[in-house]
Amino acid sequence: MSFLHLWPIYLGIAAAVLPVVVHWLTRPRPVKLPFSTLRFVREVVQQRRARHRLRDFAILALRTLAVLLLAWAVARPLLGTRSGAVADASISVARVVVVDVSQSMAASHGGIEAFERARSRAAEYLAHERGLRANLIRAGAAATATFDELSGNLAALHDELARLQAQPERLNVQPALALAARMLADAKGDSPRRELIVVSDFQRTNWTAADFSPLPADTIIRLESVAPAETPANLAILRVAVPGHPLPDRPSRVEVEIGNFSPSARPVACELTLGEATYRLEGLCPAQAKTVLAEDVVLPAAGWQTGQARLVDQLDALAADNVRACVVEVHTPAPFVLITRQRPDDVRASSFFLERALAPYLPGERDDGPRVVRIDPGRMDADRLATAELVILDHPGKLSVQSTGILAGLLRRGKAIWYLAAEPTDAVNLKQLVDEAGTSLQMPVEFSPPEVGRRRRDLFWADLKQNQAPFAIFGDSLKSAASSLRFAGGLASRRLEGGLADDLVAEYGDRSAALVISSSGAGMLAVLNADLGSSNLPASPMFVPLVDQLVDRMLGDRRGAAPIASGEPMAVYLPAEVRAAERLVIASDAKPADASLGELVNEGPGVVWRMTAAAPPGIYRVNRDQQTVFAVAIELPAEESDLRMLAREVLEDRLAGGRDVRFRATDENEDRDDLWTWLAVAATLAMLVELAVLRIVRA
Amino acid sequence: MTAAVKSRFLDLRGLAAFEHMRFTTRHRIEGAYSGRHLSRNQGGAGEFVDYREYAAGEDLRKLDWKVLARTERAYVRLYQDETNLMCTLALDTSRSMLFGGRRKSTAGRTKLEYVQFLATALAYLIARGQDQVGLALLGGQLRDWIPPAGTSNHVARLHAAIESIQTEPATRMAAALGQLFEHVTRRGVLLVASDFLMDDLDELFAVLRQFRHRQWEVLVLHVTDPDEERLPEGTAYHFVSLENDGSVDCSPADVRREYETRFAAHVAAVRSLALALACDYRPVSTAIDYLHVLRGFLVERAG
Repeated sequence: MSFLHLWPIYLGIAAAVLPVVVHWLTRPRPVKLPFSTLRFVREVVQQRRARHRLRDFAILALRTLAVLLLAWAVARPLLGTRSGAVADASISVARVVVVDVSQSMAASHGGIEAFERARSRAAEYLAHERGLRANLIRAGAAATATFDELSGNLAALHDELARLQAQPERLNVQPALALAARMLADAKGDSPRRELIVVSDFQRTNWTAADFSPLPADTIIRLESVAPAETPANLAILRVAVPGHPLPDRPSRVEVEIGNFSPSARPVACELTLGEATYRLEGLCPAQAKTVLAEDVVLPAAGWQTGQARLVDQLDALAADNVRACVVEVHTPAPFVLITRQRPDDVRASSFFLERALAPYLPGERDDGPRVVRIDPGRMDADRLATAELVILDHPGKLSVQSTGILAGLLRRGKAIWYLAAEPTDAVNLKQLVDEAGTSLQMPVEFSPPEVGRRRRDLFWADLKQNQAPFAIFGDSLKSAASSLRFAGGLASRRLEGGLADDLVAEYGDRSAALVISSSGAGMLAVLNADLGSSNLPASPMFVPLVDQLVDRMLGDRRGAAPIASGEPMAVYLPAEVRAAERLVIASDAKPADASLGELVNEGPGVVWRMTAAAPPGIYRVNRDQQTVFAVAIELPAEESDLRMLAREVLEDRLAGGRDVRFRATDENEDRDDLWTWLAVAATLAMLVELAVLRIVRA
Repeated sequence: MTAAVKSRFLDLRGLAAFEHMRFTTRHRIEGAYSGRHLSRNQGGAGEFVDYREYAAGEDLRKLDWKVLARTERAYVRLYQDETNLMCTLALDTSRSMLFGGRRKSTAGRTKLEYVQFLATALAYLIARGQDQVGLALLGGQLRDWIPPAGTSNHVARLHAAIESIQTEPATRMAAALGQLFEHVTRRGVLLVASDFLMDDLDELFAVLRQFRHRQWEVLVLHVTDPDEERLPEGTAYHFVSLENDGSVDCSPADVRREYETRFAAHVAAVRSLALALACDYRPVSTAIDYLHVLRGFLVERAG
């Protein structure tokens, strides 16, 4: 038998003893009196004692029983067979108990959090057994063990278990399994029986990729589910974002993505606070689906705007995901820097078309439109590039290593760079850039100069990621519009292992890369593999929207303002304008007392903000002289909101890998979880019987 | 009587009101001297009371010759002798007699002090009535025995003995009374003053039966204190026996009713035992002034 709460047991024992202690402490101090008729007093007292001893004992027993039953009822005993218990006390047992502390464990069902059930289940396996050496692993975004190795100090494990709470982070199950595997493999003793106990809600989003193979082959795996049989209904805010690059005093579109993880469609209302303004977004969210509520908002001032979205009037299983913070960087448009050797008055040059597409308004036509500044490749200046919105390289010629180093640094610190690879020297430049960027840049392809004597011409787009920017905006007309496009120039390419296939957004008919968009650090690098001067794309109506969408994607997806998952390791490059960590202060609106806000370190030409484990959800700022230079929203991972459990068969068969895996669902013992009601009834009966005894005796 | 003044228990001012009262008895008694009490003997020295037919062998001097001559029937003249009274005061000296005096109504007197006042006054009154008074102090054994006499020195001696009574932790008194029975020869009046808180109550009354059998008049003064009749108020008491009989902790409120019932049963038992022997039973509470008790006692006995 285990208990949902242990504290009422201790409280009940204290309460049962308390009447005796109170009686002892408050008993009257008798006055000594010499007496002549003591024989009569003695006879009466003895007679009375003989008569009342049984009554007093019965009343004390009933009263104590009532208190203990009440405490027992409050403790919520859980009766059931312990499938993982070892019956033979002579066998030494090495046991690792992994407790899931991810946010989904805070989901409540029937008024009880799943984590409270988990605590009770885990306590069963940490009860005293002869020959048992155990350890407790807290499995969240990271896995931490109570002891470095298995220990017989079960009391300390119980204490640690009592302190555990569900955390606003996802479950990264594999490190926990690896840690358990190491401990079980190192278990001492004469062929100990190895047991892994996992207490979790076995959330589908976390457990699908679980792999038990690192565990020793003879490990007995017990999976203790604390998820309710029926997935509890849950609504969640999954994302709050302002796509594109919001400008001050210009309408910007705010998107709030709502997930409805319930079997029926639900009307949802969301209160969005951004800056000092509050907006109400309403809509209908279909069952088991996500919907996006959008609102055009005007962000009045440049700088970092913070806020939060909150679901209103919703009662669901998980309250923590009903609120989500957001950070928006509003800034006046900085100029695009175009690095090229081509002359600006050459109307047939690639850079001319590009400049016109980037800044389609004529001088004086619109003051707030984008501006393009041309820079000669030989006069690249890091400070000047740092203030640019976007850096475009078109026919830059051969770049020095120093120049590519500057570009790589900007890339890491969140700058977007668009490289138009038209000439063979661009292959060398890109190679240098990739080398300078190091491991932070994993291109899906490697560019190389085309083979000698083979001209690249009449190339057409063959494979496009239609659902991604910059092509998504064209919808169904993409195919017809793109069919007439012909490209020339550019570089040959070859696929690389380890690169993300999704980064290859478009391919030519000869399977060479047409458009690659890769992330590097906080920045983004796009490579358009074509010479615009020799292609008909600039003459196409697609050109300007295509450039606009590509620029939007590159600027909008910069990671600087992207949300960070709570509990995960964090390393964020501060904007390129921030060059040193001196006088920078990290601040938070609601910093938990025990949370670390990480450190700011100078790295290369910029500053990196590192946290071993990202702080709890909220808005965190980096200030310099009371001025926010950077802000980030640390959020609850969206996958924690989907409370669906992985099927039992998958856990027992597919993930088991041939090991002895036994799964115990919550309802396998919770059918007897109503014992507490009977205990409460018994406690009431005990009190009634006590009253009856008192009345009968006094009558 | 000058020596009696020395006793602190002799209140002559209080006893002045009893100047005309005498300790009497309605029973016929045997005395040493001629007195004012009816003697058991009907000899020739007393007052003529009746005739009785002569029986062969009787003393011819008592024959009324004139009646014989006139009626030719032999009758004997009967005369009633009068003699003095011999009273023995048997006082309980067990330690339980030290109880009492907690209430204002008792004037701070224990049962023993109360009995000492009463016995001193009685001895004084009896001796003043030309009767003889003796003293027996009863404990586990007969502790002191002063045979009846009527001189002033004797009374002073009695007063001194009463004043200097020392108690002992005795729970049995029948043996002492039995020893007294062996000492006395003539019939008289036996006044037993006790609280009767003893283990051998039946044996005690068995001895008293012997006294009664020998035609003694037995007066039973049952002395009680108000605090014995009703347990004291208070939350809790540690009752300690006066007779080395242990102790008991209890809350009086819990046992009050049962205790009162039991004590009343004890008093009733003593009363019924005394009345069964045709003893003169008198319950005496220390809450009532001993002079008041004495007055009622003397008046009632005087008829």
